[in-house]
Amino acid sequence: MRPERLALGLWLALLVLCGVIDARSDYRTQMGDFLPHSASLAQQVLAGQVNGGAASHILLVSLKGAPTATLAALSEDLAGRLRQKGAFIDVMNGDDQSLAPVQDFVWRNRYLLSDGVTPARFTVEGLHTALTSDIGLLGTDLAPVLGQSLPADPTGEALNLMSALAPANTGPAINDGVWTSPSGDAALLFLHSAAAGFDLDAQQRDLGLIDTAFAAARAETPGSQAASLEVSGPGVFGVRTRDVTKHDVTRLSILATIGAVSLLAFAYRSPRVLLLGLLPIASGALAAIAAVSLSFGFVHGITLGFGVTLIGEAMDYAIYLFTQTAQGDTARDTLTRIWPTLRLGALTSVAGFAAMLGSSFTGFAQLGLFSIVGLIAAAAVTRFVLPPLVPKQFFAVGAGSIAKPLGWLIRHRRPARGVAVTALVAALAALLSHRGGMWDENLLDLSPIPAAAQALDTKLRHELGVPDQRYFAVFQAPSAQQALAKSEALAPVLAGLKSAGLLGGYDLPSTILPSDTTQRARQAALPNEATLTARLAQAQAGLPFRADAFAPFLKDVTAARTAPLLNAANLPPALALRFGSMLVQNGADWVVTAPLSGVTDPAKVAQHLSGSRADFVDLDHESATLMSTFQHEAVTLAIVGSLAILALLVVGLRSFRRAARVALPLIAAVTITAALLTLGGGKLSIFMVTGFLLIVAIGSNYCLFFERAEPGPPAWERAIASIVLANLCTVAAYGLMALSRIPVLHDIGVTVATGTFLSLVCGAVLSLPGKGRAP
Amino acid sequence: MRCPLLAALLLIAPSARAQSAWSLDALMIQMAQVRTASASFTEQKTSPLLTAPLTTQGTLRYTAPAYMRKTTQGPAPQDFILDHDRITMSGGPDGKTHVFHASDAPQIGGLVEGIRAVLAGDESMLTRLYNAQLGGDAANWQLQLTPLDPKVAKLVHSITIAGSGERITGIDTASPDGSDSHMSITETVSDAP
Repeated sequence: MRPERLALGLWLALLVLCGVIDARSDYRTQMGDFLPHSASLAQQVLAGQVNGGAASHILLVSLKGAPTATLAALSEDLAGRLRQKGAFIDVMNGDDQSLAPVQDFVWRNRYLLSDGVTPARFTVEGLHTALTSDIGLLGTDLAPVLGQSLPADPTGEALNLMSALAPANTGPAINDGVWTSPSGDAALLFLHSAAAGFDLDAQQRDLGLIDTAFAAARAETPGSQAASLEVSGPGVFGVRTRDVTKHDVTRLSILATIGAVSLLAFAYRSPRVLLLGLLPIASGALAAIAAVSLSFGFVHGITLGFGVTLIGEAMDYAIYLFTQTAQGDTARDTLTRIWPTLRLGALTSVAGFAAMLGSSFTGFAQLGLFSIVGLIAAAAVTRFVLPPLVPKQFFAVGAGSIAKPLGWLIRHRRPARGVAVTALVAALAALLSHRGGMWDENLLDLSPIPAAAQALDTKLRHELGVPDQRYFAVFQAPSAQQALAKSEALAPVLAGLKSAGLLGGYDLPSTILPSDTTQRARQAALPNEATLTARLAQAQAGLPFRADAFAPFLKDVTAARTAPLLNAANLPPALALRFGSMLVQNGADWVVTAPLSGVTDPAKVAQHLSGSRADFVDLDHESATLMSTFQHEAVTLAIVGSLAILALLVVGLRSFRRAARVALPLIAAVTITAALLTLGGGKLSIFMVTGFLLIVAIGSNYCLFFERAEPGPPAWERAIASIVLANLCTVAAYGLMALSRIPVLHDIGVTVATGTFLSLVCGAVLSLPGKGRAP
Repeated sequence: MRCPLLAALLLIAPSARAQSAWSLDALMIQMAQVRTASASFTEQKTSPLLTAPLTTQGTLRYTAPAYMRKTTQGPAPQDFILDHDRITMSGGPDGKTHVFHASDAPQIGGLVEGIRAVLAGDESMLTRLYNAQLGGDAANWQLQLTPLDPKVAKLVHSITIAGSGERITGIDTASPDGSDSHMSITETVSDAP
């Protein structure tokens, strides 16, 4: 008794410890944390951008279902309401207010921002040239507008800046004073949420605010009753995916629980034992989270969600123990009997998952550690904690009848072997003759976002003129100021590429916020009031300007000479977001990611950029590379893991022959599953490949029990019953996952449910000792 | 967008049919008939910044429903094109080509919408943007436009177009900052059905 109490006490203490560690763990959801440590700078920065960058704050809104004029009124009303909410730092619908903050910022700070501010511009000659040009402008149709700004800005710095800051693309169409789709059938709004795309709670509140404001605006706008609202953006995807996940997981796990509980209740007929069966997997999960948190410093969300599916096998440990306990036996005796098999089964799975520890993807490595620790802990709990807790008189009353169908198959296993081998050969032939590649290489197929939502997003982005950000110039510097200085140095290079027709446009952080050095140089280029007054008087000679026409100019230049330098905090929201998406702190360094649009010759642009010590990044290429690395690793890990399992079987069983009897059904199960999944030209996703490893991990336990089962009732029947019960629970749980709309859940579910069932059948047919005779 | 352009384009839209009752409706119906039109102009501008008026001359072209081009030949050559919402200015004093949307400069956006409304004969749009007063008769009429939008009113006080039958004799515009313009059209060619 004493060691058992010790074990129980130790287990409880460890549970508490793990619980404390888990509660204090840092849980992260950013994709960047899942990526390889070795990911290129561009990959890291861009992955970070997807989740937390400025672009993730964007919400695209489309209003439809009414005449354009009504939609415009609706858009104005909606924008007015949303502008009052602190949740949105910028609400743009194409009206005056949409651009006013930027125009105001540019106007007030033109002498610090404009690259036209040079000493030469403020000489007598420079001013004379500018004033001559102004006379020409006053003769044009912009005279009424220029007439207002000219007295304060005769050198045209504000106009110069507005055209430099204007996006390279042409922007959305304008109808009735607001942004619309080209046909006018939809009014468009562009919102910047204060919350990042990954802050799903805040994003969900934002969506609620938009819905409420839209309903109120519709009630206030006559004729808009039929109008409808569509919202897209990274945050929307996140919220919708979470909703679908929640819904799927809740619904499916209730169904799975009902299925598994009914099966186990039928077999055990004891609620206490039913609950005891959860202890290994629950303890395993707690320990696994703590281990990952301690080794990596954080737990990735994917590890958490996905890891529990990987250690689903731990449910089986308790099933083997409880079901194989015969009437009159104690759980302790049973455990002593089955422990070698159980241990080998757990070890093979651990060996399979151990390969993942070597992955360059942090996420894979976390999953590997999670599974290993989880399974070891679950096996230990089954071994040391469960037996004394099982009621003395317990035996699984209903287990016998569950095994009956399989018993029939086992009795006819000689003819069935032929069928199994034929199926394996047919599956191999089907896989070998599969055309067009078996791997699904379309990144979007892995995305949890439905195709319709992706299409809506693409359409709205296109209509709003949000450029497809594919090409970037990327470089880094030790400080933000040095990064801005490099950005300034790159500006003439990009301007040259643009005039050479290699680029359609570009955006640089220094266009929005020049470095302190440059701002100081511009201040130094501005003459003092007396000098400027004298030079201006000389410059006006021979031109028909009134002597006092430029008094506001003198005043503004004088003020600009001593104005405090601008920093990122001074930027209006729209520019701050653009700036923040281009200049990002990455560890100790500052990285500039400057979008390039209309790239006509990527190779040439790359060549020019490398001459200026900037990297040319093709996002499509980077994500394809990342994707193929990810795929390659998943396949390698599955193969290495499977080989490790085979090697362990040989060592554990001390016989090639016996190892082969365990391995052959698994090979058959995986091969036939792969053939079924690719039937009719289907493709294999990386989630399915992970599913294959799970088939081997779970199925190896079945085959080990089959292979070790000593013929002769009642132990024989109980062993078979435990395997069947374990498999039925697995098929119920994973089979229900297959109903999910989320690709990762669906793919793993369908693969594991099919594969483990085939492992059961193939194991029964192929693993049983040839000489032993089943009753 | 300078009012004389608007005025000139109003002017080059001839009255296609004799109207029995002279009214804004009748004028608008005439405008809507015009498919393409071209004219030459002389414009005089005064500004409180200037000690002497500026005189320019050039040609105007219009294609229904929303294309307008003003080519200034002298003294400084310049091209101004409005194509729907898009404005292109080229050959100006800075030698650069500026492309922007009327809406990007909200102050001139209202003027542009007004021009489009007049040229397209869109009376409802015109009266949404301006208080339009038509005086005189078909043989000698004056259309006075006062912007309703305060943003536009900051730029243009009023636009007065004077015409005689199918000819416009002059356009006066007055801005709140004290600048004025007078544009006269010396020749008109049009092809209204």
